[in-house]
Amino acid sequence: MRLNKIILSFVSALVILFSTSVASFAKVVGDKIILGAAISLTGKYSSNGVHTQNGYNMAVDRINSMGGVKVGGKTYKFDIIYYDDESNPKRAAQLAERLISQDGVEFMLGPYSSGLTKAIAPVTEKYGVPMVEANGASRSLFTKGYKYLFAVLAPANLYLDVAIETAVELNGGKPVTIAQAFEQDAFSQDVRLGILDAAERTGSKIIIDDKLPKELNDMAATLVKVKQMKPDVLVVSGHTKGALTAIRQIAEMKVDVPMLAMTHCDAAKLSKQHGKNSQYALCASQWHKSLTYKDDFFKDGMTYAADFEKEFGYDPPYQSAESSAALLVFKDAFERANSFDQKKVRDALAATNMQTFYGNIKFAPGGQNVDKPMVLFQVMCDASGSCENKVVAPLKWASAKLIHPIPKWSER
Amino acid sequence: MNKNFILYAAILIFGLAAPFIFPAFKVQLSILCVLIVLATTWNIQGGEMGYNSFGNILFYGLGMYLCASVQVGMFFPLAEWTESGGEKTFVHTPSQFFQGMAVGLVVAAVVPTIVAGLIGYSILGLRGHYFAICTLGLGVAAGEISGGIEIIGAGQGFTTPPFPNVGSLEARGEFFYFLSFFTLVLTFIAVRSIYSTRFKLILNAIRDNEDKAEAMGIETMKYKIIGWMISAFFCGLAGGIMGGLVGYIDSTDVAFDGREMGVFMVLMAILGGKGTLWGPIIGATIFHIFKEGFWTFFLGWQYVALGVLIVVIVIYFPEGIMGWLREKYPERFGEVVDEKDRKAQVELK
Repeated sequence: MRLNKIILSFVSALVILFSTSVASFAKVVGDKIILGAAISLTGKYSSNGVHTQNGYNMAVDRINSMGGVKVGGKTYKFDIIYYDDESNPKRAAQLAERLISQDGVEFMLGPYSSGLTKAIAPVTEKYGVPMVEANGASRSLFTKGYKYLFAVLAPANLYLDVAIETAVELNGGKPVTIAQAFEQDAFSQDVRLGILDAAERTGSKIIIDDKLPKELNDMAATLVKVKQMKPDVLVVSGHTKGALTAIRQIAEMKVDVPMLAMTHCDAAKLSKQHGKNSQYALCASQWHKSLTYKDDFFKDGMTYAADFEKEFGYDPPYQSAESSAALLVFKDAFERANSFDQKKVRDALAATNMQTFYGNIKFAPGGQNVDKPMVLFQVMCDASGSCENKVVAPLKWASAKLIHPIPKWSER
Repeated sequence: MNKNFILYAAILIFGLAAPFIFPAFKVQLSILCVLIVLATTWNIQGGEMGYNSFGNILFYGLGMYLCASVQVGMFFPLAEWTESGGEKTFVHTPSQFFQGMAVGLVVAAVVPTIVAGLIGYSILGLRGHYFAICTLGLGVAAGEISGGIEIIGAGQGFTTPPFPNVGSLEARGEFFYFLSFFTLVLTFIAVRSIYSTRFKLILNAIRDNEDKAEAMGIETMKYKIIGWMISAFFCGLAGGIMGGLVGYIDSTDVAFDGREMGVFMVLMAILGGKGTLWGPIIGATIFHIFKEGFWTFFLGWQYVALGVLIVVIVIYFPEGIMGWLREKYPERFGEVVDEKDRKAQVELK
């Protein structure tokens, strides 16, 4: 059996290959603090993955060019090791393991989406690796008692419940009827939970409650029902594709509904992609450039938006802004901990209380940011057809008044 | 025989020592074991029997959900565990975790086997492309259906019980590695012993000419179903392990991941050489290393590279690596080649 020889030599080649490919990174090399991140560069979340990565890169460049991070009297610069998680939780969990045990990363940045964060969090928790994440909003992430998970964003169930409350208010305090359609993924389903809570609180009735498939590109069935049943509010959430599909088909089918509440309008660049068709859509957002928060690195939202546009060629969605904020949080925590000890950095992160251009950041024991409210903006277009997102709630930052109800298609 | 013994002993020792030689690669090695199990069992249909199944992912996903559900359900109310995306937190004690896992794995192996028997009975009458398309549909349907079942987390996914705090940080990795390696060894022994019986010859007869096989008095349906059930058994087991290893089950991305795992298992078997014992193993190993390598060094290009790999396999190695080696060095595979006769044939062509 000469075949054995082939197999034996194959096995030994394998041994050599494995043993030579062990990379030897460490948390801090020379003057570099190396952070690890699994990002969706391909797959269904790739557009938002890129928003996230751009946000991270923008902040790394800015912090490094403005003096870096000072720890123990020495100046360090940030560096990030990226891997592509292919929008797949299985891959994400594997990559977290890889970043920590092979690349020796001791501090992590979050991936895009709740599902992937859910897959990564148990791994970082096991190894005691502090992770500041900016894109995992699922409420269930913050009830697990994770000690090393910190999210700069407000949980997903708070995204759109304000819209329901606003609708009830505009209805003279009387309950409204709600039609809702959510993608089958962790984030969107959590937004749904928020709506269920809000409906119960206000006594509103949910008359359509549909699930949309992942990779959705058709929700005509739901819209037909909406046309028939005429709800007061239509709520749709399904990441970027959900927003684009909803607007496209609502316009095509001329669906009239007094209020249309969605998520991911800015990530989908709705006002650019669909122009006037997207008009009046009400969108939940973690951040808007017109908010008046300030910090030393990006100054304020407007400056951040302008710098971002110069660098990447598009208006920053909140996914980028919150990702940039994650780096500011890390920098602040490193400097306060004045050490690279994971436990000390973790404790410093837990004690974070700061303002960034993106908003105030202060973590609850569960790890979610409790000091930053959500905002709602509405897509508004002028006569020339150019559209803009304008904040309508909360009133503190409102730059325009909510247009309600949405004019019928026949009158537009 | 003697040489074989040395080879197997060497591989076994390597397998047992691997997590200690390469402690940082435990997860990748565990996944490699799972991939080999999937490729090897796919080969029973796709390679030996000639039925290209894209549906084995069904058993893998089923095993994954079942193992996790049993592990949770034995000690806590499953509905509360998964409610609202798993907001409530229950903690398994170490003994609960391992007991649950053990029972879960048994269920994860047995139930898919039964399901394979039932489904097989109804669809294994289909042949060729019709069978392939039908099984493809099974995987997709299972993903969509499971994404709507609330008790297993629906669209929010199912977080499997976290590994208890026993021993060092390495305990989890070692546990899952040895579990998957053990499954691999079990699969290999099972498949190897099956291949040394008449059963394999019957499968080959079905592949080469099913009608003739039937005419010879072989109850082809029975053997086809049994073949599929054997695959399902090990696929379910592999799924159960993978669920625990990943820690989070998503209906279409992790469990019924036909687009990745479902295709990969076919690809690995073809790459190594379908219809051979070692082909799927070599194929899976090369595939895994190739993918991991591209993943690390050519970020963003891994799928392009994968596409190129598929094209290269199909054009240059249609019989897989083992097939190619066999053609090139037939004498090493124990085939006697009469050089004169061979030359004469070549000239005739």
